[in-house]
Amino acid sequence: MTTKLMGTPVQRVEDQRFLRGEGRYVDDIAVDGRTLHAAVLRSPHAHARIIDIDVDEVLDLDGVHAVWTYDDLTGPMAEPLPLLIPHPALTHGRTQYALARDEVNYVGEAIAFVVADDRYVAEDAVGLIKVSYEFLKPVVGIDNARAAQHLVHEDVPGNIGARLEQNVGDAPAAIAAAPHRLELDLTVERSACMPMEGRGTVARWDADIDRLQVWTSTQTSTGVRAAVAVKLGLDLGQVDVITPDVGGGFGVKIVHPWPEELLVPLAARALGRTVKFTEDRREHFISSAHERGQVHHVEVGFDDDGRLCGLDVEFWHDHGAYSPYGLIVPIITSTQLLGPYKPNNYRVVFESLYTNTVMVTPYRGAGRPQGCYTMERTMDAIAAYLGKDRAEVRAVNFIQPDEFPFDQGLIFQDGRELEYDSGDYPASLEKIKALVGWDEFPAYQAEMAAAGRQVGIGLACYVEGTGVGPYEGAHVHIETSGKVKVATGLTTQGQGHATVFAQLVADELGCRFEDVEVVTGDTRRMPYAVGTFASRAAVMSGSAIHLAAKRAKEKVLKIAADALEADESDLEIVAGVVSVKGSPGSSIDLGTVSVLSNPLRYAFDEASKAATQFSVGDPGRAPVPEGEEPGLEGKDFYSPERATFASGMHAVIVETDPLTAEITILKYAVVHDCGHLINPMIVEGQIHGGVAQGIGGALYERMAYDESGQLLNASFMDFLMPYVTEVPDGIDIDHLETPSPLNPLGIKGAGEAGVIPSAAVFASAIEDAEGFSITAMPISPSELFALRQQRAEEKS
Amino acid sequence: MKFTGDAVLHAPVDRVWSAILDPTVLVRTIPGCERLEATGENAYAMTVTAGVAAIKGTYSGSCALSDLDEHSSLMMKLQGAGAPGTIGADVAVGFVDGGDGTTTITYDADAVVGGMVGGVGQRMLSSVSRRMAGEFFANLDAVLTGTAATVAAPGAVAVGAPVTLSETPSGAAVFTAPARTGGVSSQDDLLKGIAVGAGLVLLGVLAGSLLGRRR
Repeated sequence: MTTKLMGTPVQRVEDQRFLRGEGRYVDDIAVDGRTLHAAVLRSPHAHARIIDIDVDEVLDLDGVHAVWTYDDLTGPMAEPLPLLIPHPALTHGRTQYALARDEVNYVGEAIAFVVADDRYVAEDAVGLIKVSYEFLKPVVGIDNARAAQHLVHEDVPGNIGARLEQNVGDAPAAIAAAPHRLELDLTVERSACMPMEGRGTVARWDADIDRLQVWTSTQTSTGVRAAVAVKLGLDLGQVDVITPDVGGGFGVKIVHPWPEELLVPLAARALGRTVKFTEDRREHFISSAHERGQVHHVEVGFDDDGRLCGLDVEFWHDHGAYSPYGLIVPIITSTQLLGPYKPNNYRVVFESLYTNTVMVTPYRGAGRPQGCYTMERTMDAIAAYLGKDRAEVRAVNFIQPDEFPFDQGLIFQDGRELEYDSGDYPASLEKIKALVGWDEFPAYQAEMAAAGRQVGIGLACYVEGTGVGPYEGAHVHIETSGKVKVATGLTTQGQGHATVFAQLVADELGCRFEDVEVVTGDTRRMPYAVGTFASRAAVMSGSAIHLAAKRAKEKVLKIAADALEADESDLEIVAGVVSVKGSPGSSIDLGTVSVLSNPLRYAFDEASKAATQFSVGDPGRAPVPEGEEPGLEGKDFYSPERATFASGMHAVIVETDPLTAEITILKYAVVHDCGHLINPMIVEGQIHGGVAQGIGGALYERMAYDESGQLLNASFMDFLMPYVTEVPDGIDIDHLETPSPLNPLGIKGAGEAGVIPSAAVFASAIEDAEGFSITAMPISPSELFALRQQRAEEKS
Repeated sequence: MKFTGDAVLHAPVDRVWSAILDPTVLVRTIPGCERLEATGENAYAMTVTAGVAAIKGTYSGSCALSDLDEHSSLMMKLQGAGAPGTIGADVAVGFVDGGDGTTTITYDADAVVGGMVGGVGQRMLSSVSRRMAGEFFANLDAVLTGTAATVAAPGAVAVGAPVTLSETPSGAAVFTAPARTGGVSSQDDLLKGIAVGAGLVLLGVLAGSLLGRRR
C-alpha cells in the first residue's frame, strides 16, 4: 500500500503559481483592448431621496457606451435584489435595487452604471453625472436605530427588521433563584472582511449561441448563475459562471448577486461587447458589506462553583441599510454563544436593526466572535466575582465527553437542531493550559510586576458549527492518459483546495497525487453546488470528492478485474496501477482501464486502437453492459443531516505599557479540534490567518462612521489592519482530533476557527493586566489610556 | 412607446408650414444631416451622422409625410438604420398659430428602437435628443427670423457654402449639405424639409424616452 496522504503536510500545489504572479483573477480575464469597463456612481449621502439625475455633460466625453439608471431596468431587474435567506422572524426584510430607484440608504449605494472604453473614461463619466437629492435624516449606530427617532425605511417601524427569541428552560426564573447574579453590557464594533482582491465581474455574451459567460469573484458560482439567469430572463442552461482565482473572500463574497454581477452581464448582452467591473478599495469599504457591530446585555445566575443556573442574553444587531442575507449572523451569535458550555436555562432574544450604513453580512466567524466574546466575558466576570480561577469556572460548565451527541435545544442557522456531534472540551482545556503556561502565569506576572511591567493572560473557548448543508457534489474523471480530473462546485479563495482534495482522491483511488487536477467553482464542470462559507469546503466537498473517487474506483476495479481475469477483491491500486495483490506482474494502469471503459468505433492513436469495439468486450454482450456508462467516471454528493461542531481554545499573554497603554502580544497559543486533519500544514495556515485577522478585529479594526453616515476611514491609510509586525512571531498550536461521526472522513471545518475567540481572549488578557473590566472591543491604546484615566478619577 | 414634445418658432404658421416642407432648409438645419434625396411626393431618403459615443454613427433613413392638413397637422413615418441600431417612428406633427407671430410645433410619436443604440441608457438618449432638438429648432428659428445668413439663390442656404442640388440617375432631387457654418437662409416655399428635420430630431428624442425600456 502507498502511504496515506490524509493527515500529512503535503506542500500546496497552488503556491508556485501564486508566488510567481501567475494567479489568474477576474481582473486578469479579458484584458484585450476590446473589453469595455464599467464604473458606478454611488451615493455620497447616507439617506436621501433622488430628485433628478442629469447626464448632459457626459455627452461631451468620448468613449462612453452606456449610462444606466434605475429607469433603464425592466422586468425582474427592476425589482429589488433577492432576499437570499428568508426567515419567519425577518418580518421586515428589505433589499436594495440594482440601481437606486428613488431613495438611497447608505453612502455607496449604486445609482448609475457607466460603461466606457476604459475605466478612466468610465470614472470621468461618473464624475460628470449630476444628481439632485432631497436629504433625509440618517440613522447611524445601534443607539439611534433603537431610539427610532428617524426611520431608515418609512415602512419599517422602530427600524426593527426582525426580532427572534429562543428559550431553553426558564432562564429568568432560574436566574432569580440562583445563589449569585451578575449583569453585563458588552459591545463589539463594526469591521469588515477586507480581502486583498475586491469584487469583480466580467461577462461575455455570445450572440451566435445565445449564451452568457460570467467570471466573477464569488464564494458561490452556482448562486450567481441562478440569480443572473432569473434576473436577465435566461434559462439556467444559457449561463455559465466561472470563478477563477479569488484573492480572499472571508464571507463578503458569499453575498450575491451584487448589483454589478447583474449589470455587467446585462451590459455585455445589450452592447454586444465583453464588459468588466473591478471594484476599487474605497468601493469595497462603502459598497460591499460589513459585520460584527452588536450590543449585548447579559443577565446570569450561578452557584458557588460558578456553574451556570440560567443565562439571559438580549442583543441588538446592526444589519445596515438592507437585509439580503437574512438573520444568519445574529442567529449564529444567539446559538453559538453557548460555546462548550451547558447553560441549563437559556433565553436569548435579539433585534436586527436597520441603519443608514452599508449592509451587514457574514464575515469570517459570522456572529461567533461576538457570541464567544459575550459568553467568555461572562465566564471571566463570574470567576472575578467568586474569586476563582477563570479556567476552573469554565471547566465546571463544560459539556462532558460522554454527553455527546449533545442537544442544546436551540435551532441553528441551517434550521436544524443545535446538536453537537462530538468533542472533548476538558482535554482541550488541559492542552491549552499546558501550552500557554496557565498555572505558572501568576508567578510570572508577579515577577514582571516587580520589574515594573504589566502583563495579563486571557483564555477563551468556542464551539463552531461547520460544514452546514444542504449538500456538495463532486465529479472524478480518469482520462486515458491516467490523469484524474476532479471537479467540485464550490469555489476556492486560497484555502488550498487543489491540494487537499487531490490528497483525498489519491488516497481513495490509489492514483498518483500529481496526476490529480482539481477544478472548483465552474458551473460547466459541476452545475450543482452551494458555496464556500461556514467552514464547509473540506467537510462538504471533501466528503463528496471522497465518495465520488470511491465510485470511480469501483468502476476501475470492475473493468480491471475483467481485464486481468481476477477477482475484484484481489486487486489493489497503487500509484495509478491496478494489480493483483501478491503478483505485481499482473497489472494494468488507470489510463488503460479508462481506454477499456469506453468502447470506440474510431481509433485515433495506438491506445484508442486497443479500445475499438473489435478489440474489447465480449462479443456475446453489448459493448456497454446494461446499467453501465462508457467512460471512467465517478460522481456523488454528500448531504449531512446537520452541521458538525469543531471547537478550540485560545490563550494569550499580553503586556500593556504603563505609560502609553500600548498592547503587546507576548505569547499566543491555540488548541484546535477539527476532527481528523487532511493536511495539518494547511490547517495551521488557516489558524495563523484567522489569528491575524482576529488580532485586527480585537485591537485595530473598526468602521468609523460619523453621525451623518460618512465612513471616515474608508482607505488602507485610515483603516488599520495588522501587518506581520503586529502578529506574534510564533503561534503555538496543538491539535486534538475528535473525529466527526457525521461524515466518512471524520473531519470538521477549520476555516473560521482562528478568528472566533480573538476579541474574547484579548479582553480577558487586558483585563487581567489592568485590573479593571473591559466591556467594549476592539480596544486601542488610546481607549485603554482613557479607561485608565476614568478609573483613576473614579478612585479619587 | 409614446413620446411628445413641442417647440416655439418665431414666425407665423403659414411660413412655418412652408418652411417645414423645404428640403434645402431641412438639409441645413437637421444636426448632422449630410444628404437628402426626394424619393417621391413628400418622401425622402436621407443620411444623418448623429449621436454621441457608442451611438454616434451614420444613419440612413427615410421619411414620408401623409395626411397633410395645411397649417394644421401632418403625419410622418420615419425609418432609420445605422451601425449603432435602428429607429422607427410614426409621428403626428401639429402646428398651432400663436397669433403673435409665433408658431408652436407639437409632436406626438410612437417609436420602436432596436440594436446597440438601445443599450446606451435612457437618460443618455434623452440628453442626446434634447441637444439635437435644441440645435435643430434654433437653426430653424434662425431661418424663419432671418437672423441666419441669407443667400443669393434658392437652394443655396449658407454664405460661402451653398447646398448642392443635383439629380440622381432616376431624376430625383438630391440635396447635399455644405460644411456647417451656422444657420440657414430664410426660405419659406419648400416646407417639407422641416417635417423631416423635426422627425429626425424626434428619432433621438423618442429614442431617449424608450430605449431603456426595450431590452
